Amino acid sequence: MKKSKISKLFAACVLTIVIFGMAGCGTKTTEKSLGGTGEQSAPLVICLEGGDWGFPSPFAHYSRGPGASKMRLIYDSLLEKGEEGLIPWLAREWTISPDGREYTFVLNSKVKWHDGKMLTVQDVKFSFEYFMKHPPVSDSLFIDGKPFIEKIEVIDESQVKIVVKEPNATVLDRLGIVRIIPEHIWKDIDDPKKVMDLDKLVGCGPYILTDYSQEQGKYRFQAFKDYWGRKPRVDVIEFIPVSDPVLAFENGEIDLLDVPPDIIDRYENNKEFKILKSPAFWGYKLLFNMEKKPELADINVRKAIAHAVDVDELIEKVARGAAVSASSGYLPIDHIWYNPDVTRYDFDIEKAKELLNNKLLNLVLLISDSQQEARIAELLKINFAKAGINIDVRAVDMKTRDNCVKNCDYELAIIGHGGWGRDADCLREAYAATVARDAGPASNVICGYSNPKISQLCKKQLIELDEQKRKSMIMELQKLISDEIPMLPLYNTIDYTVFKPEKYDGWVHVFDHHAVTHNKLSYLEQDKK
Amino acid sequence: MRYQKALKYLVTFFCIITLNFFLPRIMPGDPFYFLSSEQGEVTVTYSQEEIDRFKAYYGLDKPVLAQYGSYLKGIIKGDLGYSIYFGSDVRTIIKNRIPWSVSLVLLSVIIGGGAGTLLGCLSAWQRGKGSDKVLYGIMVVISEIPAFLIGIFFLFYLAARQGIFPLSGGAKPFADYASWADAVLDIVYHGFLPTLTLSAVQMGGFYLIARNSMITVMSKDYIITAKAKGLSTGRILFRHALSNAALPIVTQAFYSLGQAVGGTLLVENVFKYPGLGSLMRQAVMVRDYPLIQGIFLTVTFFVVIMNAVVDILYKKLDPRIT
Repeated sequence: MKKSKISKLFAACVLTIVIFGMAGCGTKTTEKSLGGTGEQSAPLVICLEGGDWGFPSPFAHYSRGPGASKMRLIYDSLLEKGEEGLIPWLAREWTISPDGREYTFVLNSKVKWHDGKMLTVQDVKFSFEYFMKHPPVSDSLFIDGKPFIEKIEVIDESQVKIVVKEPNATVLDRLGIVRIIPEHIWKDIDDPKKVMDLDKLVGCGPYILTDYSQEQGKYRFQAFKDYWGRKPRVDVIEFIPVSDPVLAFENGEIDLLDVPPDIIDRYENNKEFKILKSPAFWGYKLLFNMEKKPELADINVRKAIAHAVDVDELIEKVARGAAVSASSGYLPIDHIWYNPDVTRYDFDIEKAKELLNNKLLNLVLLISDSQQEARIAELLKINFAKAGINIDVRAVDMKTRDNCVKNCDYELAIIGHGGWGRDADCLREAYAATVARDAGPASNVICGYSNPKISQLCKKQLIELDEQKRKSMIMELQKLISDEIPMLPLYNTIDYTVFKPEKYDGWVHVFDHHAVTHNKLSYLEQDKK
Repeated sequence: MRYQKALKYLVTFFCIITLNFFLPRIMPGDPFYFLSSEQGEVTVTYSQEEIDRFKAYYGLDKPVLAQYGSYLKGIIKGDLGYSIYFGSDVRTIIKNRIPWSVSLVLLSVIIGGGAGTLLGCLSAWQRGKGSDKVLYGIMVVISEIPAFLIGIFFLFYLAARQGIFPLSGGAKPFADYASWADAVLDIVYHGFLPTLTLSAVQMGGFYLIARNSMITVMSKDYIITAKAKGLSTGRILFRHALSNAALPIVTQAFYSLGQAVGGTLLVENVFKYPGLGSLMRQAVMVRDYPLIQGIFLTVTFFVVIMNAVVDILYKKLDPRIT
């Protein structure tokens, strides 16, 4: 009896498997036939690697990862980041008063919200005021943790004036990227973090979110047909869950791949594919804690360490060639204000020994548990030992490492982050010891270091409104920093993005960011000028 | 007696939820401070003022004991709080993911457990013979291969190479199903490889336990009697031997079910399957206290319930156990 029951069960299992298998094949075929976009009249659907980065409202996307870029598809701002610098967007022009305190923006007319209502100057005023009360996830309205806007005035139906407390070179950038949100949706909402309804996501940007699933990590954006600005070229953008990006790209499930450097030759010299090289705006740096290890306050010791790092080896073995050597003046080679004449420290063990005076040095190197950092640490350890610097590598999880760095509880630390293409004021955040620990991943993490000359110049550039003058200050600052090396930038990574131009080739990099999928220009028609 | 047991479970539960509360808070770092990011990613780093504001918003500026008090009060009311990182209700986040994880584990325990037990019985019957040795060897290897490796093999071979199964996800993204049957089929289709992977992993464990247990039972006098009576192999194996060898197998089955919430992490990662395992990993990574608490509470709940079920079943299976 029992036996026959079990065999029945077994048969049932086998049958189910067969049915599932057949069902699977069936679904697959429909998927394929739906996915084909051979005909020209068919809407252009671009599929990209998804994953959950939060509900794309200015208040709810996650602080890590590409959540903000998805939110920006829905919401426009006064200015936009272009390929070379800031470009007019919702504001078609702007003026700055000579004292650098009044910013007047002239808005484009006939800008519509996704729900059909017209955008007004009042919406702009409301957005700024609302964000000051309810800060969004990416907040640019605070400098060193303090608000800098004094007041916002509506001048007429197309002009708005923003008065700031003191002149500051970063204000235009900060005001320009603030998302404009509709007053009629948000005015009665007191806790915007909890808003999770699709119908509240009314923006005036080129795309409307039609589908989002947190657990499955998928987003679907549809072009807004009444968009005021450059016409969307991509009709639908779908972010879908992807297990292995290379397999998904090869299978045609996604249309763009950040290709691992080891397999890049698969797509090279092949007309079917195009490869874009990203600017190197993500990087690793080595931090020195001069508070805990006074030896590191000796500039010769820091120089010795810099000479003991074989960056080329790190790039070859850890980054597999997809990186460039970082600048000892911090701003990376692709930064618009990069200074090529900074002091360089070539790999030279003998020189390192000489600088150390043949003293022995024992240090603990703190890293996170990422594979890359472990590899960097191992390679550093080998070369450092040759120069007489013994390092003990301590790996902890990312949050623990970040916390230790924040609390100056480390001797040496490796840290990796993005945003190296940001406004050059990041130099001040990183190197001017007078600044409170704050904003920006590069912010003040050099414990026990202060250099009056660097700090002064950092402050001076911040209030210099003449761009050329400011630029030359930044150049000088990089030189000073490279002579001092209060921390050692190691290398900046490059992404290689591969896609099929036959399907879509509008991908562009904006001036300060490394990913083509993160800026809305990639999905819109290019400027006609 | 029964009350004592219930009390024991309650105390266990209370200890665990207390640990759930304090452990994440002992970890260095807080939910708001990100200095670094993973390669290619950008993060928002907040100033101390902003972090303080967030802490006040989420009630993390209050003394720890006060937070603990409101946490306990919340649990009694069934309120698990609000996730800091994900920005939504912890209950909703967990509720949306539980069906994926539970069905994956349930199916894999049934399939893997069934197959493993069956093969274990056959192996025990054939003990020492060629087929037993071969099967034993294969099963030891399978049970030792990490789940993600099996998963990657299936992903590369069955999904990428043969194109029989989808590469990732729990359902076809943005599908417009004609009927609920289509939706179910699509979910089954997407869940097939993850289930297969987990079943393979489960099978090894069940096989070894079933084989061991059966070998012990097979040497008992009543089996010899049964053989002497001329009963059929199936009847001896499944009626007389298996029912007496079932205890460890049942334990294993419920142990595996108890792991439903967190045990699928590696498979979820391989197939980007929407389960609780990857959520748990992420919650710990970003120090999302309310979510960590919520997930661990769910895990605890599952494990305790499964233990209780095993306790009850034990008595039914073997009346000698008190």
